[in-house]
Amino acid sequence: MKQYFLVSACLCVFLSQNILAEPTGRIFITNEKGNTVSVINGETLEVESEIAIGERPRGIGISPDGTEVYVAVSEENLIAVFDPKTLKVLRKFESGSDPETFAVHPNGNIYISNEDDAKATVYNPRTGDLIAEIQVGLEPEGVAISPDGSKVIVTSESTNMLHVITVPGNTITDNILVGSRPRAAVFTNNSKIAYATAEITGEIVKIDMENAKILKRSQLEDPKSKPKDVILSKDEKHIYVAGGRSNSVWLMDADTLEVIKGIPVGKRVWGLAITKDGSRVFSTDGVSSTVSVIDTSTNEVIKTIAVGKFPWGVIIDD
Amino acid sequence: MLTKNINLLLFSLGLLLFAPFCISAETIEINFAYVGKQDNSALLGVQQGLYEANLQGQFLGQNYNLDIITPANAFNHDYSKYIAVLTAVDLKTFNKMTNHLPDTAVFNLNLDDDSLRRSCLANALHTIPSARMKSDAVAQWQQKEPGSNVTAQAWHGDFVKFAARDLNKRFKKKQGQTMDDDAWAGWAAVKMTSDSVAREKISDAKHMLIHLKTDLSFDGQKGSNMNFRETGQLRQLMILVEDGKIVAEAPVRGVAKPPTLDSLGLLNCEK
Repeated sequence: MKQYFLVSACLCVFLSQNILAEPTGRIFITNEKGNTVSVINGETLEVESEIAIGERPRGIGISPDGTEVYVAVSEENLIAVFDPKTLKVLRKFESGSDPETFAVHPNGNIYISNEDDAKATVYNPRTGDLIAEIQVGLEPEGVAISPDGSKVIVTSESTNMLHVITVPGNTITDNILVGSRPRAAVFTNNSKIAYATAEITGEIVKIDMENAKILKRSQLEDPKSKPKDVILSKDEKHIYVAGGRSNSVWLMDADTLEVIKGIPVGKRVWGLAITKDGSRVFSTDGVSSTVSVIDTSTNEVIKTIAVGKFPWGVIIDD
Repeated sequence: MLTKNINLLLFSLGLLLFAPFCISAETIEINFAYVGKQDNSALLGVQQGLYEANLQGQFLGQNYNLDIITPANAFNHDYSKYIAVLTAVDLKTFNKMTNHLPDTAVFNLNLDDDSLRRSCLANALHTIPSARMKSDAVAQWQQKEPGSNVTAQAWHGDFVKFAARDLNKRFKKKQGQTMDDDAWAGWAAVKMTSDSVAREKISDAKHMLIHLKTDLSFDGQKGSNMNFRETGQLRQLMILVEDGKIVAEAPVRGVAKPPTLDSLGLLNCEK
């Protein structure tokens, strides 16, 4: 009996370790031209390490249990996997041609946009197995997955659409035409609304995902604003939009899509991520090779961190 | 039992026969005409544009077709089914084409004559840059870098910015050669028309001409949002090349006055 208890206690510890790894609090940045991942300490906001990852790393994501970080190594047609604790590269697997970005599904699978092939592919990153292949429009880029796991948005830049893929069937159920060059999307927590950016027309669109209908669209006034990433504030009352060559992150009202404030950051800002507690936003400023840290209580930059060459993607392990 | 089976068989056969019609009832057919030589890179651009239009069209129920017409047969052909006519012909034939099809967009994919822009033909759309655009682009560069011997082009196979890398890659993969100016002009003409079909649901030539000329917002993979001048010229960035290598883009930063795209080429019509 005693032995039994011990075994189950061990099992419990073992399981809890595997189910949810203690977050490292680190911020991971892919450097498109530096071919590395910069590792930023979440407390000191200093770069603590740089991982050689492969040629042209762009998209980055973390497994639902927090034990593995995935990086799309575009020029090598691979996904690299590293351990966020030890920072050791664990393995690499083939991911179809020119993987650009991807999103991690709550079930652990990753949905990748294969830019060259006009395809989205679904992989099990634990085994490297290809689960599904979905034909989409030209130059697929942004991938967003609804928190309930039922829908995936893939933006196709040159076909000007958001393809809505329904899970588990992995088939396209809707195509929503938006402005020119849609690049990124994000879902609200209840999975009912999505926001997307269109780079060339400088547009932000708000979409009713239950009916695949555009609710509102708004154009950024600054002609240099070629929006890329879009993320929600923790209370979902605001969105943050990476303004490209306007060198600003735009804080907008999530309901009216009106610009509240432009937050000056480094040059050609593309990537954005927000901490789980909602207190900080990190932006990748490609041309400046910096990451800007925004305090969301004041919406001002509190620190600029020099990272590798041409930072692209950002993810927070918190 | 046998009758039941036969009925079922007939029913299935009926379904098989009607299925294609059901699909075609939902699909709109959009037709382009290309007038010009067949060994022209403009035609490769047109074909690339058509391929991409069909990639988009498959999601929207639009099917794009292309008829190729030789210059010799240009004026004994029925053009009524076409959404737009794409041409790579000589100046005389081009002028005649625009007269012949007054309510249809006639794209010029290869002629750089400034006279053609100055005459402001109502239905002529020039996706290829004019001679004056090229000389203005070179002059801007020389203001910054005197003595530099550059040429200005609409496109270059090594251009990577603004996702030009992707267009170059897929063109080379599909067409087996590097995209040049005429190929880009051909691709752009089809792409802007098919984007307008997708977005505005325009499927007749007359409305398409009005839309393209007055209300266009086009991503030509050269960064900015493109549209046409009153002259029928597409506003666009130029690529400056020295010894085969890209050195800069025009409008040249710090030299060109805003609105910078209008610092290249003629703006006004002949009075």
